[in-house]
Amino acid sequence: MTTAAPAPVASTHHASSIRLSTGGILRSEWIKLRTLRSTVWAYAIMLVIQIAFGLLIVSVSVNREGFARTASAGDAGGLATFGAVSGVAFAQLVVSVLGVMVIAGEYTTGQIRSSLVAVPKRLAVLWAKIVVFGVVTFIVSLVGILLTYLVTSPILAGAGVSSSLFDDGVFLTFVGAAGYLALIGILALVIGAVVRSTAGGIAVALGLLLVAPAVFSLIPADWAHSIADWLPGSAGGDIYSSGGTFEWWQALLIVIGWIVVVGAAAATLLRRRDA
Amino acid sequence: MIEAHSLTKTYGAKTAVDQVSFTVRPGLVTGFLGPNGAGKSTTMRMIVGLDRPTSGSVTVNGRAYRDSHAPLHEVGVLLDAKAVHSGRSAYSHLLALGATHGIGASRVKEVIEMTGLDSVAKKRVGGFSLGMGQRLGIAAAMIGDPGTLILDEPVNGLDPEGVVWVRELVRFLASEGRTVLLSSHLMSEMALTADHIIVLGKGRVLADAPLAEMMNASTVSSVRAVSPQAGDIARLLVSPDVTITSVDAQTLEITGLTSAAVGEAAARAGLVLHELTPLKGSLEDAYMNLTADSVEYRTQSAVTHPAATQAAAPQTAAPQAAAPQAAAPQAAAAQSAPSQPASNPEVSR
Repeated sequence: MTTAAPAPVASTHHASSIRLSTGGILRSEWIKLRTLRSTVWAYAIMLVIQIAFGLLIVSVSVNREGFARTASAGDAGGLATFGAVSGVAFAQLVVSVLGVMVIAGEYTTGQIRSSLVAVPKRLAVLWAKIVVFGVVTFIVSLVGILLTYLVTSPILAGAGVSSSLFDDGVFLTFVGAAGYLALIGILALVIGAVVRSTAGGIAVALGLLLVAPAVFSLIPADWAHSIADWLPGSAGGDIYSSGGTFEWWQALLIVIGWIVVVGAAAATLLRRRDA
Repeated sequence: MIEAHSLTKTYGAKTAVDQVSFTVRPGLVTGFLGPNGAGKSTTMRMIVGLDRPTSGSVTVNGRAYRDSHAPLHEVGVLLDAKAVHSGRSAYSHLLALGATHGIGASRVKEVIEMTGLDSVAKKRVGGFSLGMGQRLGIAAAMIGDPGTLILDEPVNGLDPEGVVWVRELVRFLASEGRTVLLSSHLMSEMALTADHIIVLGKGRVLADAPLAEMMNASTVSSVRAVSPQAGDIARLLVSPDVTITSVDAQTLEITGLTSAAVGEAAARAGLVLHELTPLKGSLEDAYMNLTADSVEYRTQSAVTHPAATQAAAPQTAAPQAAAPQAAAPQAAAAQSAPSQPASNPEVSR
């Protein structure tokens, strides 16, 4: 590595064009997200899981006895959407891990100090991460769901069940499911911001999604079951599937409530703690 | 211009930085010198808002760093070699960093070229050696074309060529009128790079003086005498080969005489001495003394005692050690270097 003279140090930029901006911070977070292999891998795995799971569920259902009768009973749209979103329960685990890594990875590696030196008001970094990660996760999830729908509908059609994306509620269900994944990812992100460790953050996020519902359901008391209903993983399912405890908008508010509470803690700690 | 006022940082019962005040001026390389744990890094982190001071304040160009509209243009900072996500390439890291301020790929390529990272720019930072990590840190510090640079142990892990490169770079940046603050625990490195030195020890400022003054104050063997009749003693010792500086009303630092000679002269005249201490040693020793002692004592901003005569002898031995490389720094620092007490260490002992 030869570096002779330290000559070209002055920027060719005009000084006044160098300025911290919200758009710049968002662009920076987008670059950070797309330039990590772990991001690409996680989204790829998520897509594969969604499609594979949809295929599995639909194939099994089609071959089950009595399928034709159910189908002819008029629940064609329900079956089609069910197949397309069946992978969400698994995709949310991948999204949670990625959400934690988006911020906790910065603490684990020391990157956070570079990020906060560039944005010393700090909170903008957290908001930008939430926006960028939320939007990208929503888009990738929606693409995954649509792809699943695309590959599973010929199977259903072969069994005599035909549906359209423009059928009542089909597309909205997909949007709801993608929105749920984005929100769960954001919740994991703010958990990661509080915990500041990748391993710890993943443990808490997955614990909240997988372990907490089981624990509260095991407690033989009404209050415990109510708490179980209000957990993000359980209530969140009602955003995109009907027949649960909550209306879709109630479920949406509950999950957003979780994000607001944990996010407020994350923001307070980010402002106060030394980086 | 960095101005710190009574900066203090405590971690529980431990005080990492204790009432530190200093000013770092533009156009000079200012060195933060102190052993590990002296509070250099903590102070630097407080300047850019990564650590919140327990009390006190610090400003960059008159305002808190966090209030800057273009922080990366205000201050470029190298805190530790790898404040970088190990899974990202050097290029992507710099691109993401610059993007916050609307700095694009062309400037990223400039700083990559400048720091000699061309061949590894697309490789992931996780595989970088310490030296490459340092170069990347310096590239990141330079990306916003900052008016102030803060570099924590920049030569750490660099090969000899890299050390020279950093030295030339910081000298060049200061010559452009930028404010440069760098830290090191190596006195020898500081002597070659800095114009002005702030010595930190146990979280306090032990000394804050131009390099030349530090050299003079610490490489020359001298004697400290404390006496209520300091003025009389100074008059008594006046001679062409002796330099006497008055630290305060009762304290003198005498160069060119042994402690025995000072003591005998005082006794003959019937003058009272409260303290008579030989001060000697190299710059390294002086630094060790400054930083090892829990006693806080300052390198005085040497004011020549009115009663003392300037030594007639030409400045020789002591400045020679510093002369070759001090020449350039002093050219830039000329206005800040106060009247140096002339000294003639050849006479001593």
